[in-house]
Amino acid sequence: MAGYHQNLDQQQAPAFFARGPSPLARLAFFAALSLTLMATDSRLQYLGSLREQLMVVLQPLQLIANAPSMLYDSTNEYFSTHHRLLNENQYLRKQALVQAISLQKMKALTLENTNLRQLLAANQSLEEFSQLGEILHVGRDPFTKKIIVNRGSNQQVVDGAAVVDAKGVIGQVTRTYPASSEVTLITDKSLTIPIQIERNGLRAIAFGHGRDNTLDLPFLPANVDIKPGDKLVTSGIDGVYPKGLAVATVVDIQTNADSPFARIVCVPTGGIENHKQVLIVSISQPDSVANTSAASLQTGNSDAAAKTTTKPDATQAPAGTAQVQINQVQINQVPTNPAPLNKAPVNKVPATNAPATQAPATPVAPVKVPATTNQNKKPAVAAEPSTTHKPHAQD
Amino acid sequence: MHKTKLQTIYFSLLVAFLCVLLPWSGTALKLRPDFVLLVIIFWILRAPNKCNIGTAWFIGLWVDLATGGVFGQYALAYTITTFVAVIYQRRLVLFSNTQQLVYVLLLLIISQLTLLTVKIFSGNDVLGWTYFLPSITGVILWQAAVALGLNTSRPSRK
Repeated sequence: MAGYHQNLDQQQAPAFFARGPSPLARLAFFAALSLTLMATDSRLQYLGSLREQLMVVLQPLQLIANAPSMLYDSTNEYFSTHHRLLNENQYLRKQALVQAISLQKMKALTLENTNLRQLLAANQSLEEFSQLGEILHVGRDPFTKKIIVNRGSNQQVVDGAAVVDAKGVIGQVTRTYPASSEVTLITDKSLTIPIQIERNGLRAIAFGHGRDNTLDLPFLPANVDIKPGDKLVTSGIDGVYPKGLAVATVVDIQTNADSPFARIVCVPTGGIENHKQVLIVSISQPDSVANTSAASLQTGNSDAAAKTTTKPDATQAPAGTAQVQINQVQINQVPTNPAPLNKAPVNKVPATNAPATQAPATPVAPVKVPATTNQNKKPAVAAEPSTTHKPHAQD
Repeated sequence: MHKTKLQTIYFSLLVAFLCVLLPWSGTALKLRPDFVLLVIIFWILRAPNKCNIGTAWFIGLWVDLATGGVFGQYALAYTITTFVAVIYQRRLVLFSNTQQLVYVLLLLIISQLTLLTVKIFSGNDVLGWTYFLPSITGVILWQAAVALGLNTSRPSRK
């Protein structure tokens, strides 16, 4: 027993003297430091460059950490069978042929499109610049949906660039480091993406759901013309995502008696968590500020004009005019506030612009749901309750 | 007495950090134990005069950098966790193996709760009970390490 105590003393003695400041003092100091850092990093933008520089230090460590999986992959590839390679080769040849044909068509169409746009004196669609990136790893924070790709500011990747894969949009670059960049996936809670329903051209904003891999379409009325199976594509009015890229598919619509809005659940089309290669697409923007102010001005004008000019009986417009209308509206940028976007439907354009634009955005199903000609105005209900009865009065 | 070299501590922390940097994904990511915190707890119990709250804070900053979150989240979580560990360090080395295991689990949960609080303050969702799985796997890893011969107590108690 005595020996045991002696041992204990021996062990404890240095600890008593060599401890320096008390643990409580250390806790207070370092906790205060962390809190300061957190506040600085989240509210002020001072630490961005520091983070970039530290990432350069982290890069070699990251390479070492990735080495085993890379080695595994390359070994796997090395030992892949002759047969499989032949099959793949054949498949790729076929695909290349098919794509070459459609590319030829595409060239002609692009030329035609440019000419038509010039005829209409419409804005030229924005130039895109894309490059292939490879996913290094998935984000390590369980609270966010992020991936890290191996292209960074050294390769001219800019913050805000869209990231797509073969099947659709998967996210947006939110942070760039010298040799890598952080992509927030569209399923992340903090990311929103302006979309359009492919079937009827209805515009909305999709929000990431965060917890599971789905997207939400909030603030759409319960009687909105969306069905399960509808495809959501990018609307291209945000100046970030090129127009017409697949985003998600609607899988479920729930209406709740105590909520005026429908709960719409969509599943992203892109292989959010499957693929290794992604395409980083950045649109060169000449002067986004001027565009934004012009667009918001136009939105305001058209809104006022629409109240007097919109006639819901113009449902005979052929399908496909919706596309043309959008071009003529010339909205390239949308104010970040979602309400004005929802309030600026395709058909609300000053009558002087083009008479055809009075057609509603849902020419496909005019008989079945006459009330839905007003669908684009519905979100305004949330913003300004006093105008609730206006659409019905027009009917 | 332990004669732990400072290099050993830093090397083990580096290895743990590399484990964090490994390309985890899917279920493995959900189950991934907090290697760095486990190593820190181990060294705090074993060599409290070499590895302290400051060390934990510093390595926490690097974990913050690796996760890409706001600076200081992991640093704060590690600081608070190691504080609890340091306070009870003298008692803990006398604990039996099972008692130690429960204590380590408690520490890991404290760290995760701190992180959760910070994240919820900054507007994140609550993730459900699976969020605490890494604590369980962490304890399993701790037990495995103890079974392999690592221990926090004095060599004579082996």
